[in-house]
Formats: sequence, C-alpha cells, structure tokens
Amino acid sequence: MVEEQRSASASSASAGRPPAVSVRGLWKVYGPNPLSIVGSPDATLSRSELRAKTGCTAAVSDVSFDVAPGEVFVVMGLSGSGKSTLIRCLTRLVEPTAGEVFLDGEDISKATPQRLRELRRQHFSMVFQHFGLLPHRKVIDNIAYPLEINGMKKAERHARANEVIELVGLHGYSHAFPEQLSGGMQQRVGLARALAVDPQVLFLDEPFSALDPLIRRDMQQEVIRLHRELGKTMVFITHDLSEAVKVGDRIAIMRDGAVVQIGTPEELVALPIDDYVANFVRDIAKSHVLTLKYLARPAQSDEDMDGPELAANMIIRDAAEIILQTHKPVRVSENGKFLGIVSSEDVLRLISGVA
Amino acid sequence: MTHLKKSHLLIGVGLVWITLSRIFQGNQTLELATSENTSFTSSVGDAAASIRGNRTKSAAFIYFFNPIRAAITGFVEIIRSIISVPSGNSIIPVIGWFGVVAIVAFTVYATSRLRTAILAVSLLLACGALGMWQFTMDTLAMTLASVLLSLLVGIPVGIWAGRSDRVLKILTPFLDLAQILPTLVYLAPLALFFLIGTASATIATMVYSIPIAIRITAHAIRNLNQSPIEAALSMGSTPTQTLTKVQLPMAKQMIILGINQTVMAALSFVVIAALIGAPGLGKPVVDALIIRNVGQGFVAGFAVVFVAILLDRSTSAAAKAQESFIPLTSQQIRRGRIKVGLSGLLAIASIFASRSVLSLAVWPGSINISQQVEDVTNHATKWITTNLYIFTVGFKDFISNWVLNPLETLLAFSPWFVTLSAIVFIAAVIGGMRVAMLATGLLTLIVLSGLWHEAMITLTQTIVATLLTMAIGITLGIWVGRSSSAEKVLRPFLDAGQTLPAFVYLIPMLGLFGPTRFTAIATGIVYSIPVVVKIVSEGIRSVPIAMIEAATVAGSTVRQIITKVQLPAAKRSILLATNQGMIFVLAVVVIGGFVGSGGLGYLVILGGSKPEMQGKGLVAGFAILLLGVTIDRIAQASARRT
Amino acid sequence: MKFGLKRRIAAVSIIAAGALVLAGCSSSVNDSADSASGASECGSWAIAMHAWNGYTASGQVVAEIAKANGCTITQTTLEEAGVTYDAMEAGSIDVVIEDWGGGRWKEWVDRGAIVEVGDNGNVGLIGMYVPPWMAAKYPDILDSANLNKYADMFKTSDSGDKGAWYEGPPGYTTIGEKMISANKLNFKAISTGSEAALVDVLTKAEANKTPALAYFYTPGTLFIKIAGLEQSRVKFPANDWSDAAKASGLTDYPETALKKLASKKLMDSNSVFATIVKNFNWTNADQNSVSADIESGMKPEEAAQKWIDANPDKVKAWIGS
Repeated sequence: MVEEQRSASASSASAGRPPAVSVRGLWKVYGPNPLSIVGSPDATLSRSELRAKTGCTAAVSDVSFDVAPGEVFVVMGLSGSGKSTLIRCLTRLVEPTAGEVFLDGEDISKATPQRLRELRRQHFSMVFQHFGLLPHRKVIDNIAYPLEINGMKKAERHARANEVIELVGLHGYSHAFPEQLSGGMQQRVGLARALAVDPQVLFLDEPFSALDPLIRRDMQQEVIRLHRELGKTMVFITHDLSEAVKVGDRIAIMRDGAVVQIGTPEELVALPIDDYVANFVRDIAKSHVLTLKYLARPAQSDEDMDGPELAANMIIRDAAEIILQTHKPVRVSENGKFLGIVSSEDVLRLISGVA
Repeated sequence: MTHLKKSHLLIGVGLVWITLSRIFQGNQTLELATSENTSFTSSVGDAAASIRGNRTKSAAFIYFFNPIRAAITGFVEIIRSIISVPSGNSIIPVIGWFGVVAIVAFTVYATSRLRTAILAVSLLLACGALGMWQFTMDTLAMTLASVLLSLLVGIPVGIWAGRSDRVLKILTPFLDLAQILPTLVYLAPLALFFLIGTASATIATMVYSIPIAIRITAHAIRNLNQSPIEAALSMGSTPTQTLTKVQLPMAKQMIILGINQTVMAALSFVVIAALIGAPGLGKPVVDALIIRNVGQGFVAGFAVVFVAILLDRSTSAAAKAQESFIPLTSQQIRRGRIKVGLSGLLAIASIFASRSVLSLAVWPGSINISQQVEDVTNHATKWITTNLYIFTVGFKDFISNWVLNPLETLLAFSPWFVTLSAIVFIAAVIGGMRVAMLATGLLTLIVLSGLWHEAMITLTQTIVATLLTMAIGITLGIWVGRSSSAEKVLRPFLDAGQTLPAFVYLIPMLGLFGPTRFTAIATGIVYSIPVVVKIVSEGIRSVPIAMIEAATVAGSTVRQIITKVQLPAAKRSILLATNQGMIFVLAVVVIGGFVGSGGLGYLVILGGSKPEMQGKGLVAGFAILLLGVTIDRIAQASARRT
Repeated sequence: MKFGLKRRIAAVSIIAAGALVLAGCSSSVNDSADSASGASECGSWAIAMHAWNGYTASGQVVAEIAKANGCTITQTTLEEAGVTYDAMEAGSIDVVIEDWGGGRWKEWVDRGAIVEVGDNGNVGLIGMYVPPWMAAKYPDILDSANLNKYADMFKTSDSGDKGAWYEGPPGYTTIGEKMISANKLNFKAISTGSEAALVDVLTKAEANKTPALAYFYTPGTLFIKIAGLEQSRVKFPANDWSDAAKASGLTDYPETALKKLASKKLMDSNSVFATIVKNFNWTNADQNSVSADIESGMKPEEAAQKWIDANPDKVKAWIGS
C-alpha cells in the first residue's frame, strides 16, 4: 500500500516540473590524461582492457538520468560498479572528469567553491555508509554542525537540532556521544544531520549497508516514513536490490561505471534489458514488485466476468488475498479503463515462479 | 633457491674480501693522522674560520644570527629566571622550589590523575635530594623552552604536511634524514653560527625535535577516519572549518602523543647539548665522564632518569586522558572542578610561600644524599672492577681480539677500494642494484672527504655493537613476543630505556670497561636493545595465530615453531629492528669519541676543541651522516626485498 | 578524575597567570637577600672550569676570592680551547684561568672577543711517562730511541700488535701520532677521553706493575701520588717547539707558561673581579697544595678556602686593596 501511494505521488509530482536532479553525460576517469578517454572509442572497452591499454579506469562512464522532485531515485550496483563515485560526483566530493550535473536547473559542475559551499550548506545534504559523525561532539552538536558552519547562533541551531532529533526518533539521546550509540542510532544521527538544513535533495550513500539486517529493515521503514512526511527528493545508493525495490520509485542499475537500465522496480523485473539485469532481479519475488497490470489478460470465454474490480497499479502481493478468496477472477482497470482479468491460478503461477 | 644463491654470493664476497685484505693489508687505507688535514678538510676549516671571523662584521651575523641568538637566549633566560636562576637583583628565582613542586603537582593532577601527580612530585623531590635541584630546573627550563619553540614550528608545519601531499613530499627526505642523524652531529655546525651557549643548545634541540613533532602531527592528520571529514566537506565546511572543527579535535590525542615524543626527544638532546653550553643535568653528566667519577655520573644520571620518567608519564597520562570523548556525569565534572579549584588555590599559596620563606625558596642544603649515592656507586663500581675484573676485562678483551680487531683489519686496513667494492657487492646482493649504486655514491663521498679510514673504524664498531645487540635483542624479543608475563616484566624497562638519553648509559659502561672502544660498543648495545626487542617482539606477536595453530596441530615442537614459523614470518620485523638498532648504535658509537672510541666521533669532538681542527670535525660530522644514510638505505632495501 | 581539556587548560593558565602576577610583586626573601649580597658592585661572571685537577684548584681559588668580594660567580664546565673561546665570544664565559692552548685564542683576541691577561705563574710541561717501576727496572726505556725494544710489552687488545701509546684528550696539545711516525716507533696512539683516564692508566700500571706509556703533564698531583713519576718521563731528542718541528714530530713537548684569558666585557668593566683575574699569579707548588687536598677528598670549595686562609697576603695583593 505504502509503495503504491508513493509511486503515485512521485509520478504526479513530477508532472510538468523540471527535474530536481539532472545528470548529463557524466564521466569520472582515474589515471593519466583522463579527458582523452571521455567519449573516445576506448571508452567502450571493458575495464581491464581499458586499464591495459591506457592505464585509466572509468569509474563513471557517460551516465545520464533525471530525478523528479520528490522522487526516490535509487542507484543500484555491485561493489566497484562506480555508484559511490557517481554520488560523490553529484555533490562534487569527487570532481567529475566531464559532464554536467544540474540541481534545480543550476549546473553545479560550474559552481565556484563559494557557490558550491552554499549549495552544500543549503540545498542538498548527504548521509554516509559509515555515518561520518564527529566523535568529539554530542549528538545535538553533530546535528547542529551544518547550521553552525552556516553561522547560526547556538540557541537557534540547538532548537532546530532538537526538532530534527524528535523527527528521527532520537529523543533523549541529544547529549550522548556517537560512540555510545548503536549503529542504527548513529545513522539516525546521520539522517538528522542531513535533514537539519532542510535540504531540497538528500543523497544517501549506502546508508544502511553497515547495519545488522533487522536494524536495516527498521531504518528502511524510517526512510520511507520520512519521505512520506517530508517529501524530499532522494538519491539513494545501495548494493541491495531488495532495499532498492523497497525504497525506490525508480532504480538505475550500474555496471562497470555505466548505467545499464533505469526503470521502476516493476519495469526492471518485468522487462530486464539484458541478462545482467535479468540475473539481478531473478531472486526478487515478482509478486512483491509487479502490479496487477502485469498479470492482466483478456478473459477466456468460460471465465466469470463479475469478480471484484481492482486497480492496475496494485502490487500483486497485496491483491493476492482478495484474488485467492474470491474464487473468481478479478477485473483489472486503470483510470476506469478495463485492462483484463487475473485469476487465482495466474497469481499462484507467478508466486511459484512458473511464469 | 634464490635464498641459497644469495647466501653463497655473500660467502663468496666475504672470502674474496678477506683474501684481498690479507694480500694488500695496510696499503691504500687512506689513514690520516689525527692532527693532519686533507686539502678538503682544511678548506672546510678555512671556511669555518672565515665564518668565525665574520661574526662581528658580516650582515648575516649582525642582522640574522646574532639577533636570533639574542632572542632565543632571552626567551630561555626568562624561563630559567622563573624556576631556576636568580631573577633580576634577587638571589632566588621568581618561583622557589616549593612553588615549582606545587605547580608540577597541580598541572599533572589537573591534566591526568592523582597517582601520576604523586609520582611526578616524588621524582622531582628525589632530584632535589640528589643535590641536583638547580640542574634539574635548568633542564626543565631548557626542555620547556625548546619544546614550546619546537611545537610552535612543528605542529603548524605538521598540519600543513598532513593536508598537503606536496608539502609532505618535500619534507619527507628531511624527516627521514633527521631520524638517521646522530645527535652529536648537530652540535658543531650550529655552534659555528650561534656560538656556545643556551641559544645554540636550544636551536640544536629544536632542529632535533621539530621533525618528530612534524612527523607525528602529519601522521595524526593523515590517519584520521576519513568519513567524518568527507561528511563535513559535504555539508559545505570551509577548509578552515574542517581543520578546526573536525580534523584537529579528532587528532588531538595523537597530537598530544606527538608532544610527548617531542618532549622526550628534546630532553635527551638537552642533556647532550651540555657539550655546547646547555645549562642543566647534562653538565654534571659530562663532568663525570671527563673526570671519570662514576658515582657523580650516577647521581646526575639518576636525576636525568627521574626527569625523563616525570615528563614521559605526565605527558602520556595527559594523552591517555584524551582517549575518550565521552565525559562523565555532571556530578563527577562538578567534583573534578572543585578538586582542581582547590588544588589550584593550594598551588598559588605554595608559590607565595616559596617566595617568602627562604627554606621553601632555595632547596635546603641539608637535604642532600648525593654524597651517599656517589659513595655507594663508586664503591660498587670499584668492587666490580676489582673483583669482576676477569669478567669485564676478559669479555672486553675477548670481543676486542676476536671480533673487533679482525673486523677492523678487514674494513679499515684493507685498501679502500677493496672495502668499498665489498660493501657495494653486499649491498647489491641483499638490497639490489639501486641501493648498490646509492652506496657507491655515498661511500665515494666519504673517500673524497678524506676520512675513509676513520669512517671504517666507526663502521666496525657499529657493526660489532649491532651484531651483539641483535644476538641479545632477538633472543629477548622472541621471549617477550611469546610470553605475556615476560612482556609484563620487561615492558617498563623497555619503555624507560627508550626515553633515556644515550649519554647516561656511558657512565656505568665507562666504570666497567674504562676509556676504550668497547665502552662505546657496550653503551651502544644497552641503548639500542630496547628498540630492537620492541620491534622483534611485535613482529613475533603479529604472526597470525592460525599459522601457529596449524604448526602446533602438525606436531611441531616449541623450537620448531620458533625457528620454522615465527622467525621466518617475523623476518621483516627483524630486518627493520636491525636497521633501527644500527642507527641507534651509530648515534652512541660516535658519542663514544668521548670515552676513547676514536673514529669519526673523536674527530667531531676534537673539532670542537681545537679551532685548527674545526674543518676536520665538521667533515667528520658529514661523514657520519653519509655513513648513517648508507647503513639505513642498505638495511631498508634488504628489508623491502623480503 | 577527568574533565574537559578546555577547562583544564583554562585552570592551568589561571595558575600560570597567578604565578606571573606574583612574580610582579617583590618577595620578602628577595628583599632581605638583596641588601646582604651587594651583588651590584662586582656583578655576575662566569669562569670556565676545565676538567683537569690543576685547573679545578686555580679556578676554585679565584671563584672563592671573587665570591668573598661580592661577585656572583658561575662555574661552567666546558671543553677547553675552541668551545670555550666561542662561549666567551657569546658572552657566557668570562674567564679561563689556565690556558694551555698555545695561542689558539689569537683569532678571538684579534676579533676583540677575548683579552689575553698574561701568565698565571704556573709552568706546564707535557710528556710521555712510564710507571716508575719500569723506569727503575729498564732504565734505558727513558730514551725514546729504546722504546721499540720494549714495544711488545705495551700491547693491549686495543692496540693490536703494536704498543699502546695513551694519548691526551681531544682538546689537549698532542703531537703523539707525529712523534710515533717521526721516530719510527712501533706504537699506536690510543685516544683517551680525559685526564681521569690517563690517571687511571698510570696509577693502575704502577700499582699492578704492568707496563704503560701515557701522556701526562705538570703541574698536577699525580706526581705526588705516584712517587718517582716525574723522573719517569721519556726523553725525545730535540726540544724545539717551532711550527716546523711540531709538524714533523721530531721534537718533545717544551715547558710552557700557562695563560689567563678573559672576556673583553670583564676587562672593560671596573669590577673587582677584573682586578683579581689580572693579578692572579701563583706557583706550581701553590696549585699542587690545593689539588692535593681536593685529591684527598676535600671539597674544592673547602680546599680553596683553606689555601686562601693560609695565604692572606697573596690574596690581598690580588684584590689590589
């Protein structure tokens, strides 16, 4: 249900507005004379071939995408696929070799150091895999840090920090030091710090990879909740596809520095562009991702057409109970338009993996 | 396979060397009488003389060296007049002994713990009881002044080097060199420009300890967890904000440890700097060496040891107090404030008292056990030298006749080109072509300096001392590495051993062995064993447990585990320990010039005394540097290749 | 106990500030001491203390007389010659009371850093000595021409297959190596660090009846301690102390009048200390009597005072009153 509403809100929010983040032809090449690789035929070589030939490594190669305002955009890839470098290029923690990054229409790759600092202080913020908390500061002063460097008075920034502390569920911890907290709590501090400046865009670099599975699940829920409440645009990096599917409106799958496919979870599962992506999404429970639209088919003559009507964008898992209980195929429609029917056999076949 | 070949090659080189040495014995040794100069050393001497002659004339002296000398002397004298020497027209310093004790007690108490404060006070009182109060205060003042000035330079430069790769790259060769350079070598060149006195001593101490401050500060900045720094940048921190709000607070503990190291280096140098007029405990130590009063040397030596422990413990305790950022409860904080406040008031009262009551201002002469300590020590030394004469002199003669003399014959009395080629060959075999070429260059420079023969005498002593050091050090290192109880027993000695100035060790050795080469060698051994044991034991301990378990399960005996598993796995550590050991030994062997070890160290000291020999002394210092770099590079290269 | 570093630093600084404020106030100890010492008349000066027994006697006597006349005297142990001259130029040493340096100071005198104050009355003689038992047993050993005959007896583990020739410490006037080569002696010069080492060598050799050949010099109490040592000096043929003879090594050490040196600052002052240094002059016997007391365990201050008390006229003359 949650996911459903979220994607709906994202797509409606995006309509007619310029993208919050727009990436065009972004490159990051390490090695001698990196610019010569950009756009050259060499760029099509595999990583090892490129390194053997030129001594260069293309960590990010020719990446382009748009992120709509309020969207959660996930970049997914195995380690070494360039996703961490990509997110650092977006914030210029790593200087891109070539390409453009627009935040709210402003090309940050051309921003002066002063302008870049301004953007970092006010327009976007980042959450890190290893939290990046300042060990010598209390929770409240960690959270207030971005406000402090922005010149905010102590009373004012503590007041703001306390608001965010409540928001992320850190009540009662404001005077603790990071090393006194569990990993999950530390990352809550990381999140709170990122939210303190009320940024337009939140970059999250594998925020939960260092956490235990149970805590990770809680934190994913937390992000989903925060997103629902605050509606921030997020660029979320992960190596965990189930996490990507859980939090992402759209997912970009990266391999060897390049984006292989971008799409909604459903699109990726339903229509993987190549074997690499297919392999990736194989272990995803399709019923958790696909909507009834995917199963809808024309009715056969002997089937009842008077079953209940369900929305096409309903996740199959959520619809399963109704379908299996009705003993009749359900009718699937999108915006009042009839798309087809789905029977309990269809659902069972999908869940058992025959389809 | 290659290993076998390597050792065969080395044996081959050795045999050829010995044969050639036998044939050409005594020819082309480049021996030079002590009082003789080569054209090179005399031209350096002329240059030195002209520098001396310009002291009152040239602009460089009038506008640069002399003002610096005056400023630094003034700075040191202010500190001395506070705790050590009479201030102004008074007969006592600003703060009398009681006040100094109170300040030390308070400072240590406020920055660490009561126990450390009690230790510090006891050590200070012990120095007083040894009749060394004034010398101790001078040493503290000199150390304090040098450390303050060193940190003033070292920490900012260290931070810079921590943040800029280019700066680090430029500094690294100098930092490396500073680690190799024996203390003795610093003195003469500085004395040439800053003359003899507190300024020279302070500057020399700074030159010695600044690299340590730089190195550790840069290391502290560089090895921080990068994640908070990246986070701070991502939030738009300016470089200054990142430094002051993130990097420095995080690096604080490490930087305080760096201060500890700087303090210890400065202390050990201040003692040696007595040779160029540094006031303090170095003076009675040098006196004792010159007049060979072992008892007096012990009294002064004990005071140096006490000051070393005092400074080490209080600075490392301050660093330890920084280990956690987590504060205590507010109640504890309040109690802490009350304690500090009260003890602070007590300290102020004590300072007052030390300015109004003569017996609290000047250390009471009646409290002085130096004569007793001196007598007991002299008695013991006499007993040992008369009764254990056979052992001490026997051991000395055995090593001299069977190790030292043959090796000296081989190194110093073969034709120079034979020895040079042999060393280069050995360097090539154990370290590779690059280091062999480097060694050729460095050794050729020594030949050109005209002091080849003396350099080989020094090298002989260094090698012999290193061999003995390694024999003892590896054995102890294995023991300490394998047994945690052995570590517990030896650790305090190893720690203390590393903090003591090399000079102090000369005294008991002089008592045992008299003014001979062997005294320098024995001192070198005692001085360098702690560092060797430390490195070797760490190497042994870092052998993965899985390896040892596997060997144990396979049925190895303890001996087999040591020789077949731990030693080979710790080979790199052992080679590194050898390198460190050699550098430590070299530093001491040259100081041994004082007690009859001859070689380059003797020439350095000679150059200080006899103006006509100053050139030779300076060149000898340079030759020591070349020798040190040669040894270091060969040893490092061979450690790298394993 | 632990609390924030900032607060600790603050606390420490407050104490330091307190100390400095106190430093501003005058203290009762200082006031009472000031009037008693009258330090301003003479001033404070530093005497170099070289580390041989005779020097200690001379230096201590001058120091004690100066202190008795209101001077503040620092006694600083330093290696002789160059190191000390530089210290005088730097202003940290004012007096050398016994200099053997044979004119090495000339450069400093020319530069106006040092003033040569004249002879101190002592006459020095350096030489190579054997223990008296050897001189008695092998009378011809005292002629340098016969040294080679006995060279084997002098071998040690440090001299290898040659005889050991114990040479003076680094700063001393030594031409041993040249004497060895000029006279084709089968000896090797062994550097010793100090007078004490030489004393040790000769004392042990005489006590244990072992051979030794060592550098030594008068005045000094060793000649009192080891009877007959003065007569055990090995004689070398010539006794010409020209530069050429020194360089050739074909000579023996000559008798030398020992000098006093002082800083220009001292000699330009009207201090009574300048007068004392200028007038100080005593014999080898005077020096030996003080050294002997020190040697026998008396503290240098006490030994010096004893001589001062016994020789009021001489002292009076030096003070110039």
